[in-house]
Amino acid sequence: MVTITEGAVVALLAGGVFFGLVAAVGLLRLPDLYTRTHAASKTDTLGAGLTLAAVAVVYDAGLPTVKAGLLLVFLLITNPTAAHAIARAAADQGIEPWTAEDGGDEQ
Amino acid sequence: MTLLTTALFAATAAFVALSVVIVYRIVRGPTMQDRVIAVNAVGTNTVVVIALIGAATDDPGVLDIALVYALLNFLMSIAISKFTVERGGVM
Amino acid sequence: MTSGRLLVPVSESVALRNTVAYAVRHVVESKAAEGAVHFVYPYSPQMVTGMDTSGVDELLERVEVWADDDLGDDAGAVDVQTAVIGAGEYLFSPGDYADVLAEYGEREDLETVVLDPEFSPSGTTPLLPPLEAELERAGFEVLEAPVERPTRRARLVRGGNVGQFLLVAALSFGFYLLIGGSLSTFDLVTGGLSGVIVATVLWRVCFSGPVRPGRLLKRIGRMSVYTFYLVWEIVIANLQIAYVVLHPRLPIDPKMVEFDAAVWSEIPVTTLANSITLTPGTLTVDVDSQSFTVHSLTAGARDDLFSGGLERAVRFVFYGRAAARIPSPRERGEEGSDDGGAES
Repeated sequence: MVTITEGAVVALLAGGVFFGLVAAVGLLRLPDLYTRTHAASKTDTLGAGLTLAAVAVVYDAGLPTVKAGLLLVFLLITNPTAAHAIARAAADQGIEPWTAEDGGDEQ
Repeated sequence: MTLLTTALFAATAAFVALSVVIVYRIVRGPTMQDRVIAVNAVGTNTVVVIALIGAATDDPGVLDIALVYALLNFLMSIAISKFTVERGGVM
Repeated sequence: MTSGRLLVPVSESVALRNTVAYAVRHVVESKAAEGAVHFVYPYSPQMVTGMDTSGVDELLERVEVWADDDLGDDAGAVDVQTAVIGAGEYLFSPGDYADVLAEYGEREDLETVVLDPEFSPSGTTPLLPPLEAELERAGFEVLEAPVERPTRRARLVRGGNVGQFLLVAALSFGFYLLIGGSLSTFDLVTGGLSGVIVATVLWRVCFSGPVRPGRLLKRIGRMSVYTFYLVWEIVIANLQIAYVVLHPRLPIDPKMVEFDAAVWSEIPVTTLANSITLTPGTLTVDVDSQSFTVHSLTAGARDDLFSGGLERAVRFVFYGRAAARIPSPRERGEEGSDDGGAES
């Protein structure tokens, strides 16, 4: 018999792994640095977020839940900031973004 | 093993596998920033893996490690971006 | 060299005395035939600084006395004037301030603007960099009065009060106990000590202005509403990205776009930039005061960006409901500035 907690955890984990997969696929498939940053920074953030939510649910209510939530909020703030810093560093170095006109060949 | 621990360990394995896939991007590059982004993504996955292991083994102390690791991961991305922009300038 | 006719916008600030001295010295050294310094106070009735007109007059009087002091023997050669401008107009953005200043400058035939590095007529909101850009666009030469400390970077250490100290200490203490997870005497004592140490080091760094508990609570309330909205946006947009990335033909159309966001001051801009990055399909690459350079993955993502939902929400959090009704970037005509355009 599957309890509500178990169901929720499994669903959140499945969602988390799915978005983690999307992030990995995006990192490999997308043509240039900026587009890859899209995949890495937020799809991964949502994947990690859902998984951490699952962890929070596993620990019922209590201090570890709060910590998992804290971790989640922290990732939500730092990941886009890091992505922004990296993209900005790239832009400062003059790396040009890939556009649709450049043709479809992937690196 | 209960359903919960099985699911948690399965998710852990999945995230480890995904991280290994991302390593391809770290190796291939081609630019420094590509590698930083990939390392950052692996780092995020590592945080998740640590938290998942904590949940699966029912050891709440592990979450503190995940918290510190997330901090380090963030700091690493910022430091490397800063370094590449200012070429070794002081942070 | 620069002209001997200066326009100096003033407001209550710690560097005001310095600025007056700099402006006067500048005019005297220029040896212009018709040297003039006009000190103007951009006054607008909705300002929340608590300054009424008598306070403004008093400030301008003080400035005039200082200027006369600095002039000394040259008093006859330089025409010092003071004025209140913009009264009755609704001054909200740096652009509004630049407009009233430009209007006055043209009327009085002034070519150079000297800015007080601490100039902030609207209270705590720093608007110097955008104001500088707007004035330069209007054809003025802009000088920033030099001050002892470097002002090109935002200042790290600012004035603080007891409220800030207590808030930092309390937050550190709370965080310590939360991570520690126990309420034993040992933890309470070490936590208290840590809180005090952290607050001693950081209390003047953490906040951009004095703590106003009422406003802070209101912002936190609105922020939690915003968080739900943001999470919803993130989930929806992530599904779109998942579709794009997993699609066999990879239907992306990446493009850099630039636009000026209608948000001001550090924290709202940071919040907006992070929200833009978190909403998949758009990635903030660079922010220069309020002009955003955003990399967008698909045309749909660009559409969402220009319809300005996020921007409006951020304004709602930080400025309240009235500010949320400012037109979206599309209605302001910001749309379509393409990659590489320095102007936007």
